[in-house]
Amino acid sequence: MRKRILVSVIMLTLVLTLITSCAPAPKEEVAKAGAVTVLGVWGGSELDNFREAVYPFTEETGIGMAFEGTRDLAAVLTTRVEAGNPPDLAILPNPGQMYELAKDGNLVDISKFMDMDELKGNYAQVWIDLASYEGKPYGIFYKVANKSLVWYNPTAFSDAGYEIPTTWDELIALSDKIVADGNTPWAIGFESGAASGWPATDWIEDIMLRTAGPDVYDKWVNHEISWIDPAVKTAWETFGQIVGKEDYQYGGTAGTLSTNFGDAPASLFTDPPEAYLHRQASFITGFFPEGVEAGTDYDFFPFPPIDPAYGTPVLGGADLIVMLNDTSEARELMKYLASPKPQEIWAGLGGFLTPNKGVSIDVYPDELTKKMADMVVKAEVFRFDASDLMPAAVGAGSFWTGTLDYVAGEDLDTTLEDIESSAVEAYE
Amino acid sequence: MKKKITKLLSRPLLHIVIVLISLVWLLPSVGLLITSFRVRNDVMSSGWWTVFQHPFEFTQYSLKNYTHVITANGMGQAFLNSLLITIPSTIIPIMIASFAAYAFARMEFPGRQVLFVIVVGLLVVPLQMTLIPILRVYNRLGLAGTFIGIWLAHTGYGLPFAVYLLRNFFGALPKDIFESAFLDGASHFTAFFRLALPLSVPALASLAIFQFLWVWNDLLVALIYLGGTERVAPLTVRLSSLINSLGQNWHLLTAAAFISMVLPLIIFFSLQRYFVRGILAGSIKG
Repeated sequence: MRKRILVSVIMLTLVLTLITSCAPAPKEEVAKAGAVTVLGVWGGSELDNFREAVYPFTEETGIGMAFEGTRDLAAVLTTRVEAGNPPDLAILPNPGQMYELAKDGNLVDISKFMDMDELKGNYAQVWIDLASYEGKPYGIFYKVANKSLVWYNPTAFSDAGYEIPTTWDELIALSDKIVADGNTPWAIGFESGAASGWPATDWIEDIMLRTAGPDVYDKWVNHEISWIDPAVKTAWETFGQIVGKEDYQYGGTAGTLSTNFGDAPASLFTDPPEAYLHRQASFITGFFPEGVEAGTDYDFFPFPPIDPAYGTPVLGGADLIVMLNDTSEARELMKYLASPKPQEIWAGLGGFLTPNKGVSIDVYPDELTKKMADMVVKAEVFRFDASDLMPAAVGAGSFWTGTLDYVAGEDLDTTLEDIESSAVEAYE
Repeated sequence: MKKKITKLLSRPLLHIVIVLISLVWLLPSVGLLITSFRVRNDVMSSGWWTVFQHPFEFTQYSLKNYTHVITANGMGQAFLNSLLITIPSTIIPIMIASFAAYAFARMEFPGRQVLFVIVVGLLVVPLQMTLIPILRVYNRLGLAGTFIGIWLAHTGYGLPFAVYLLRNFFGALPKDIFESAFLDGASHFTAFFRLALPLSVPALASLAIFQFLWVWNDLLVALIYLGGTERVAPLTVRLSSLINSLGQNWHLLTAAAFISMVLPLIIFFSLQRYFVRGILAGSIKG
């Protein structure tokens, strides 16, 4: 009896081995000239669309792409790099890790093989600078998120007779009006598991750009001004004009703190609407309930200017592609990815914004995406998400938790002093 | 008389407590199961317990999550990969561990205790610590990204516990059986195959389940040693890539969890009778 089980298990294993070795190879393996391994956080529809964008390259050159996806990119990449088995290319969710990898000499300087003039023609200087470390370019930015957006439901808006605010004061006046009508203006959600608080940091960054301007913002990112600086404090206080008022937020501050960032916008689409406004990045459309239509059910307006001197800057985040193994196949793929063609393919499939100026605005599938992309490309002032650039102990630590403490009602000075003390250590 | 009454009362009480504990224990899984049958908009707007307001309104349930997961690209390949990884990674360590455990339990040789202490000591080594050094060795030997590499890795990670469990089990088998066998001229080899193994089927079965579940559910080890390319990625890696980078479509994972649970459940129920069977039933019959 036991023997029979053992024998059948062994047979099963053998048969399965046979089946798998005969199974038709998936699309990515068509390669003749070997495959470039790519490690990244993309999954689901993002990954499908990225594959689609790379497919013409494989057809033309015979070089395939073997994509390895993991959402715990930092851990897997660090391990693989340490062990001497890095992927050829990696897609990093923010420049912070790129700087670390570049510092340790793990990245390939792309100016060695890339036509830099062409790259500079396609990418604005700010993007090239962000992807450089000590003057050498190491990466190309892909898949930008435009974070300076306020989402609303146009139908609900016109039914209630509300107007799109164009200044901060108008925004506050609108919020007051919505409250006076017995409704709730804002749907906010700051919960995001271990990363809770990041949506709040985006708020503060966006406000900071508008109250203090890009120069002070840069100093703040590099910790050249402290967290208790009046400029920082003003930004937080302005943020407090919204999150400090219970009746401004759907579910009050408790609702804001406990609602997942992805679930929060659902309040815009109930009947009657539970809330009217939602400030979040362009990717939030992926979390909207099924069946809502762009233009009729949802639309956005730019996060309004506060100090007229600084206009309407754009805050954003982006993934970037870096190269870890200098092989000729990897070079080819990198060149292809930097060119407009794959970005146009992905942009046409949706859910993708690019900073690449060579990509025509017409390729985006709908008016809304065109507007978002236009904002990014035409922005007079574009700044990268500050928390993504700060050392992890602050940008993915005390800044996150500090915002939550503040929303929960902690005294502002104490909150900022706490962040400052962790920053002093982290920036050393 | 009094005793009888307490006995009569304590039985139902005990049952109620047990049922309550099982209910609390099951609650998260039940929630997950119900969520997996709900449509995305419902999942996002209300809790799973709200279905109990009208549990027989069948329009609120849907198989969409399941069809989406099952028909996703490369799911069949991932299932095969998972089997290819899990079956050898279960059989190899149990084979080696049972030999080793027999030696530790029944054979006299110098350094036996020290060796055993070392094996037990390995139980406390966190496997994350070994990732980088072993991956380095694998690169050298060309084992990174191969099934053989991951079989060896899982064997290594599973062995200390397997040896420890089986040694204790073999050690607890009555000495008399082995002594009478040796008197009849049995070698260690015969004693192992004819006595130790057949008597230990319950222990081997539970060990097999442990190891199978651990390897089947493993994400980290596969991701590090095997990588996540479609050709080799197991089910866990494939399922985790169903969701977008910011967690869009997480509701699919509820269905994915139950799909990946099917095989372990089958294994568990088919091996279950070995647990219940009396450990030494009939072993010392003349």
